[in-house]
Amino acid sequence: MKSSNGESSRKLTANVKAAGCAAKISSLELKQVLSSIKRPQCPELLTSLDNFEDAAVYKITEDIAIVETLDFFPPVVDDPFLFGRIAAVNALSDVYAMGGNPVIALNILCFPTCDYPLEVVEEILKGGQAACSEANVVIAGGHSIQGPEPVYGLSVTGIVNPKSMLTNGGAKAEDVLVLTKPLGTGVMLLGMKGELLQEAQNKQLFQSLTMLNKGALQIAKKYQPSAATDITGFGMIGHASEMALASGLSAYLYIDELPFFAGARSLAAQGFVPAGAYGNRNTFSSSVINLEHIETAIQDLLFDPQTSGGLMFSLKEEPAMRLLAELKENGYEAAVIGKMQTGTPGSIFLEG
Amino acid sequence: MSTPKGNEDKSASDTAQRLDLRGLMCPEPVLRTKKVLDGKPLGGVEVLVDSDINVMNLTRLANSLGLILESKQGEDGYTVVIKNSKNQAHSHERQATPKGKTAPGTDGGANRKDAKTTTVVFIAKDTFGEGDRDFSLNLMNLFLQTILQSGHRPQAILLANTGVRLMDPESSVSKVLSEFKDAGVDVFACGLCVEFYGLKEKIEKEQITNMYAICEYLFSADKIIAP
Repeated sequence: MKSSNGESSRKLTANVKAAGCAAKISSLELKQVLSSIKRPQCPELLTSLDNFEDAAVYKITEDIAIVETLDFFPPVVDDPFLFGRIAAVNALSDVYAMGGNPVIALNILCFPTCDYPLEVVEEILKGGQAACSEANVVIAGGHSIQGPEPVYGLSVTGIVNPKSMLTNGGAKAEDVLVLTKPLGTGVMLLGMKGELLQEAQNKQLFQSLTMLNKGALQIAKKYQPSAATDITGFGMIGHASEMALASGLSAYLYIDELPFFAGARSLAAQGFVPAGAYGNRNTFSSSVINLEHIETAIQDLLFDPQTSGGLMFSLKEEPAMRLLAELKENGYEAAVIGKMQTGTPGSIFLEG
Repeated sequence: MSTPKGNEDKSASDTAQRLDLRGLMCPEPVLRTKKVLDGKPLGGVEVLVDSDINVMNLTRLANSLGLILESKQGEDGYTVVIKNSKNQAHSHERQATPKGKTAPGTDGGANRKDAKTTTVVFIAKDTFGEGDRDFSLNLMNLFLQTILQSGHRPQAILLANTGVRLMDPESSVSKVLSEFKDAGVDVFACGLCVEFYGLKEKIEKEQITNMYAICEYLFSADKIIAP
């Protein structure tokens, strides 16, 4: 896509080694590092790091808790405004994934001012503001530094009633899984960088990347999900496995029901697979049953790190069907993609 | 990582175009290789890359184009050769199914009796020679049965023009052809012909190919049998 700041300046993604959530440090490396750090007990902290929650929840009163999260990454697109917007939508998502309502945010910015004109920074921040305005979140400040590669994101604080917060660990056996956005952003963003996407594909991708998960959460809350997460850097399999593990269950994924971006499968088959997908494969493939019987391109899409991905809800089948219908009525590319079963905790069974 | 097969066959790299794509970030290596291969459908590209991620992505690219990839790790990166393999039938299988479905088995040529000299049977009409029609149809059946029973395993049986009728499930020959298929022989029908004779619904998509792939088989074969 064209850079909005003219042909002469450098492309925003030019120096970026890993884009979006594909820039995440691998789950294995992270676990290793964190395991050596001792943390004192805190009774007000309602989330456990062991359950890989999307955000931390801290109890203030019996009815009020704050949800804390932050997320930032290098540019995924060359248009600075669009990048800012996507990064903010992605950061806000973690609060929605906990069932919370984000209220206040701070900008996180790293930028090489020697390499790009200042207007680029302005556009990035405007994009972040646009997403926060849409979400009714106030940006109250932030922190910026110089660095070799642009990075932007937000620290977000939200509010949730502890009794209705949605964790990874609440899923019940026989629940079905509802996903609210198509999969394959990592692969599609590589295709976009390679200028291989058609106009309609770009449109579908950007629409999904800039769509807040706020509306999907509001709809889902009516159907009382037992657990929720957002599908981001660890990919479909990684996040499903984390939810299953935290809930002591096994997740079944229906390969034929998974929604993918149009063209994602063909791009993946041609080798447009981000490094993060291989990292996720290394981390999670040992938990996956039946992987070898699935087409390689689909496997890659299941491990593909998602930027600004959808929410995944776990809930009883009957309300899940009503939730799916209402999501679809409201224009979400949602699908029932699997179910929770008793089994080896954290294992994923692919039903193809 | 892709299974490195060593560098047994140097001939492919003789005429290979060399690309040094080290230092480039994803998706540049796969994109640039793709652009070169788009103009070289038979492969013949040697690529230098610096990470195993690139090798894995190039493996996918090669597979999607029905080409063979060989990679070797050196001191300053990986040397990847993408080529059209003469003696390995599975490259053609993939060519005939360009949708990216991985062809079953990676060493398709290994259990083949005629692996050293590749033989292709090319059938461009449904009868064995000209003569009484029913008799000529039966002769074709007998011809294929005899090949099957004598243990000859050609690399491929290619059907064109009225020859594609032999793949019609209602034809008595279709059973013999599926036995060849089960024995690892590539059995393909010309897509245009299938369409012209109205057999599109009756013949499985995976067994339909195009003139390009047919020519590839014919030109890479050591021996062509055309009854």
